[in-house]
Amino acid sequence: MAYGHAVAGRQASRVGRGALAEKMVIDSDLRAAGKVEEEILKEAARHGYCEACRFAIRLALEEGLNNAIKHGNGFDPAKHVEVIYQVGPRETSITIIDQGRGFDPSSVPDPRADENLEKPCGRGIMLMRAYMDEVDFSPKGNTVRMVKRNTGKA
Amino acid sequence: MAGQVRKALTLEVRQAGSAGVVRASGSADIGQCEKLLAALDQLVARRTALIVLDLTDLEFICSQGLGAIITAHLKSRHHKGQIRLVNPQPAVREVLETARLTKLFPIFNDLDEAVRA
Repeated sequence: MAYGHAVAGRQASRVGRGALAEKMVIDSDLRAAGKVEEEILKEAARHGYCEACRFAIRLALEEGLNNAIKHGNGFDPAKHVEVIYQVGPRETSITIIDQGRGFDPSSVPDPRADENLEKPCGRGIMLMRAYMDEVDFSPKGNTVRMVKRNTGKA
Repeated sequence: MAGQVRKALTLEVRQAGSAGVVRASGSADIGQCEKLLAALDQLVARRTALIVLDLTDLEFICSQGLGAIITAHLKSRHHKGQIRLVNPQPAVREVLETARLTKLFPIFNDLDEAVRA
């Protein structure tokens, strides 16, 4: 992937326009996640992704960014979240990297199990897997790469 | 979901007979779900026996929004209260179904039905 230098700041910063992938670096602040969503969903709309596909991308982004900002970086203002994305006519790939210690995704209990239904937390990864076509974590667990294919349906 | 831009989450709380009704509109995204919990908490604090969450105009919900509903449900249980959901849009209903929360929260087609059931 070719992209420029990361620019961290209070505002989402994007570099590498026109390159193979785009990159944004945001603060560990949930409000900053909205800027990432807007950029990626605007591109997805431009490429004609169906409403259900855009909803899925949005949901997975929300969950991935929440995990990165809250659980990964622990809202640490000194830490940032990188989002590398590529929105093409056939598929969208998104990689979210936090600066946390990582975790083992297989250790997260199944939130759909009867005994876990009343737990207020722990649904993010399940929703990402349910709504995206591919979800893979790095061995350390602080990077997640997700792919959504455009079904082409209006 | 025109434009997919995050919309403000607005919450209108009112009484319908003995039930407390929260009408949620917009987007229950990660930056706004605390507002949903705060609105439900208002009714929980009053020991409202039946809380009806009207989802007709809610366009988006994330796991934090689901968590807010579950948290209110757990608090309501202390006074044997109940939460019922009304008329979610198909995409929001799908999130609820994917999480199997329709097993925990009955979904009603309209407000009257939810209040009278």
